[in-house]
Amino acid sequence: MPEPTVDKISRRGFVKSCVALGGTAVLSGTIASIIGARDTDNPAFAANPDKPLRHVRSTCSPNCTGGCGMVAAVQDGKIKTIIQAADYPEVELNPRGCLKGLSMSNLVYGPNRMIVPQLRVDGSKPGTDNFTDVTWEEALDTAAVRLQEIADKYGPESIACIVQVAATGHVHKGALSRLAALAGWSMHGGYDMNGDLPMSAPMTFGVQSEENESYCWPDARYIMVFGSNLAATRIPDAHFLHEAQQAGAKMLVFDPNYSVTASKADEWHSINVGSDAAVALGMARVIIDEGLYDSNFVKIYSDLPFLIRRDTNQKLLAQDVAASAGLDVPADIPCYRRSHVFVTTDGRLRASNPQELLADVVPEHIALEGSASVQLGDGRIVEATTAFSLLRTQLEDYGLEQTEQLTGMPGADIARIARQAATTSPLHLIYGASNYQWYHGDLKGRALALLPVLTGNIGNLGGGFSTYAGQYRMRFKPAAWWKVDGKGPAFVPFEYVVHGPTETMTARFPKNGIRAWIIFCCNPFDQHNLNNQLREQKQNGHLELVINLDFQKTTSSLYSDILLPGVTWYEKTELVTSPVHQYLQLMQPAIEPVGQCRPELWIFRELARRLDTDFDQYFFPELGVEEATSEVIRLLLAQGGDEVEGITLEQLRKGPVKMHHGSYGTKRIPFYEQIHDGQPFPPVSYPEPLENTAQFVKSGRIEFYKDEPTFIELGEALPVHKAPYEETEYALDPTYRERFRFSYITRNSIHRVHSTHADNQVLLELKDHRPKLLVNPHDAAAKGVQADSKVEIYNDRGSITAFAVLDPGVKSGVVIFEEGWWQDQLNGSYNALIYPHIKPTHEVYFVPQMWSPNTNWNECLCDFRPVGVEP
Amino acid sequence: MKNGMVIDLDRCIGCQTCAVVCKMHNSLAPGVWWNRVFTQGTDEHQTAVGENDNLQMEFLPVSCQMCSDAACEKVCPTQASYYDQNGTVLVDYEKCIGCRYCMAACPYGVRQFNWRDPRETKAEAAHETAVALDAGLATNEAELGGVDRWSFARTQVVEAACLLGYPNPQFEGAAHHLVYTQNRPRGVVEKCTFCAQYTQNGELPACVRACPAKARSFGDLSDPTSEVSRMLASCSTVRLREDYGTEPKVYYLPPSNRKA
Repeated sequence: MPEPTVDKISRRGFVKSCVALGGTAVLSGTIASIIGARDTDNPAFAANPDKPLRHVRSTCSPNCTGGCGMVAAVQDGKIKTIIQAADYPEVELNPRGCLKGLSMSNLVYGPNRMIVPQLRVDGSKPGTDNFTDVTWEEALDTAAVRLQEIADKYGPESIACIVQVAATGHVHKGALSRLAALAGWSMHGGYDMNGDLPMSAPMTFGVQSEENESYCWPDARYIMVFGSNLAATRIPDAHFLHEAQQAGAKMLVFDPNYSVTASKADEWHSINVGSDAAVALGMARVIIDEGLYDSNFVKIYSDLPFLIRRDTNQKLLAQDVAASAGLDVPADIPCYRRSHVFVTTDGRLRASNPQELLADVVPEHIALEGSASVQLGDGRIVEATTAFSLLRTQLEDYGLEQTEQLTGMPGADIARIARQAATTSPLHLIYGASNYQWYHGDLKGRALALLPVLTGNIGNLGGGFSTYAGQYRMRFKPAAWWKVDGKGPAFVPFEYVVHGPTETMTARFPKNGIRAWIIFCCNPFDQHNLNNQLREQKQNGHLELVINLDFQKTTSSLYSDILLPGVTWYEKTELVTSPVHQYLQLMQPAIEPVGQCRPELWIFRELARRLDTDFDQYFFPELGVEEATSEVIRLLLAQGGDEVEGITLEQLRKGPVKMHHGSYGTKRIPFYEQIHDGQPFPPVSYPEPLENTAQFVKSGRIEFYKDEPTFIELGEALPVHKAPYEETEYALDPTYRERFRFSYITRNSIHRVHSTHADNQVLLELKDHRPKLLVNPHDAAAKGVQADSKVEIYNDRGSITAFAVLDPGVKSGVVIFEEGWWQDQLNGSYNALIYPHIKPTHEVYFVPQMWSPNTNWNECLCDFRPVGVEP
Repeated sequence: MKNGMVIDLDRCIGCQTCAVVCKMHNSLAPGVWWNRVFTQGTDEHQTAVGENDNLQMEFLPVSCQMCSDAACEKVCPTQASYYDQNGTVLVDYEKCIGCRYCMAACPYGVRQFNWRDPRETKAEAAHETAVALDAGLATNEAELGGVDRWSFARTQVVEAACLLGYPNPQFEGAAHHLVYTQNRPRGVVEKCTFCAQYTQNGELPACVRACPAKARSFGDLSDPTSEVSRMLASCSTVRLREDYGTEPKVYYLPPSNRKA
């Protein structure tokens, strides 16, 4: 056994605190009372058994989105311990919570905890910790005046708000949305900003994302995981994978790199970087060639039987066919849906019903394959072929040999797994951000979706197509609070702020650009790409004002002008949901807000009334902040729709309450209503009204054939494999092909939630206080890099240093850096290396956080070298 | 009654939640870990061991093994290390003289020594905190006409950070052994107590309650109907270094190696 580690307090820390002890009169009293007194009678340490601990249930809800019920034990108004509440009525969910949530008190009372409002010292350089403590009045008055100046100068739309993880805070995060709607400010959507929006989901299913809640995992019998490290990123849920295996499921992990999840799998396949789509297409070909697909399912629920015009490569519309009346075109089709044309087995054309999937269709009478000559209304005759036939032709490029070459996976494995996947139901396919946060991530997802759809594994308990990345999604209608009289703020995709507007964009961009930010619990100056350029935007004055509302002083605080101290989930009431379970929960105050911190609803209300006295009325001005919060929750529950109908605040005060769903049994099944009741795709994605997302799949079905012109022009009407970097890094600078040969993967750490917990002392200890770069030992040797030695990771856009870890699980040609470090913990910023490549298919529509340009974190090349060695 | 623990290594995902909840609830000073999770075969946690396709990553959580024939207890000259009536090995902090024979004797390396007053270490870690107060604050106070509220808030934060963990002392048995106190005195040895502050009140150890992988079970090994007894009866288990004859009461279900 290794020796226990000894005390690792840095010399710097020791010296600093000695300075503090000697130097500040105010503090020395307290510290001395802590350090100096040896006797246990000292009141600061007196253990008083008569002093009962008070237990308060709240919900740990950072940007992991896990939504874990926690109980804080409180004595003398201070949190002492935190433990999982383990009070979910469905006991298999207990205990939800992980090492981060259990050490959250290290942030509540952390070294970077915000205590008081602060203003940047005039003339001091952005990025420096140069602030003056001020009163709330001064901070808010200054914020209001500066915001008004910007609005007058550039228009209010030049002020953008960033709200992360909307569903983790319906009341307080909603308050900023409400204020932005009133003031005419813009909003950056967190889901696309973070790259978490899986574009294949809106393209294929018309939804923002739909996934199995984790307690459905044991209901699967075949689990295929592509680029997701669930055992590290979904710690409270990971046991369900084990339970699935215990119940007889097979779990396969497809990932270039070995991971904790791979170590628990029945099979791990180290596929080539960026080759996930080829894996899927190779398997789809086997499934189709061998007739292993669920023909009836495909005919009813997908667009694959529909005729594609060979002249335009678009779907043949029933309305364009001559004598279309004979096709029985349904009447009253809404503007966001289309009736398409399929062929019956006896050779007749029929119009699809995009409103009702089970309407008088006998799947046995539908021809999935074939061609037809069709006379159009204008007299022309066009050739048309079914999408399924076109898919079969396209898959000819993915024979076992070709696929083996593209993926590095033996062809025999591809064939074997394809057969197993097609014959072992339920099949659950999980695709993580490491799979899709690539330029061609949409193609990967669309190709992978073929596997569960071809095999009929959508809408069944345990089957499905799930992602678990990020901060999606709202589970009931939030408009009553998030909007004002139905009007919400206008959204500006964040990618355009770093990249600049594109010619192909459909989103609107303010004519004067974004000149001010109001950041709420977000750290873009560490956590977003090209953040060196973002910092420059602040330093050169383009970004004139940054107001930061956070409970910690982060890197982004250092680039801000006004710091408004908010609170943690133990200092306020808030309404929370999660994508991985069905429970509605509250955060509840265990302690008074630390220092002068205030719940954010209070802060936004105070700001609102300073901006315009009329705004006041929208924020329950007559109530204290806790009472106002309660009223907002009542409002949200009353107007939230079917999912929350009948649920009361009083119930929630007692514990988690399960939301309603439309599936049979206890577990919610994605797309249940579509598959079982024949409702058209998509189900609604809150907060958008149905028509905004229904336009993504106008057929009302699962779409593999995308006929919007951009897809056709790019040769992506059907899912296809495209190699990484060709249209991005190499196109931007052809010399990258030779100069930067390493794929730069910035994965999640178990010790942080992105950059939250970056300064958690206990978790830093587990990391040896060191940022690390994981490299393959052979690659390290070739570069002369030793274990534990300092390396520089760089490309032309940026550079960082870290300590090398030689990990044989890292694929040769890949380096892995665990993201989430703050600027002052690193020499540089790890996100500076990453360029915001925008793919035109992401711009075909713009619906915020539903169909919008995404950050492709992994589409990045770099090189590394020992520190001090020039290239 | 004989308390023991079973840890299912197939379920363990190496997340270190047990280590952290132990640290937080037992108020361990920086540098002290009663409970650690190792990746077998490497010093870098959660990295692979092996080559090419033949890789593995297996975890091993290690805390006091609660031996039935404990070397630490035998060598303790003051009987500070002792068995309670449930067979749990505890340290009476009022009896420990800091000779550290037990640390030398323990084959599992789980005992740790308080070279300093843990309050010092905690105060330092709470930091830099102190430094954040700095000169800026003083000038600000002056500007605010001597109002003391800001500094009051910051000192509260520092103090709270130093006083995290279960706050009340725990005395055990008729002899009132001091087996838990939020800040152990300088010069004593400390280790896992199966969370004496909880188990003596009928609750589970924090690591058992908190393990999100549900890898840990705790209970009475002498009761054949207890969960731990049933697991021992139905599964093959191992204990660490059984060859030493220490008879640990912490059992492991070995990983199953599912890989094809």
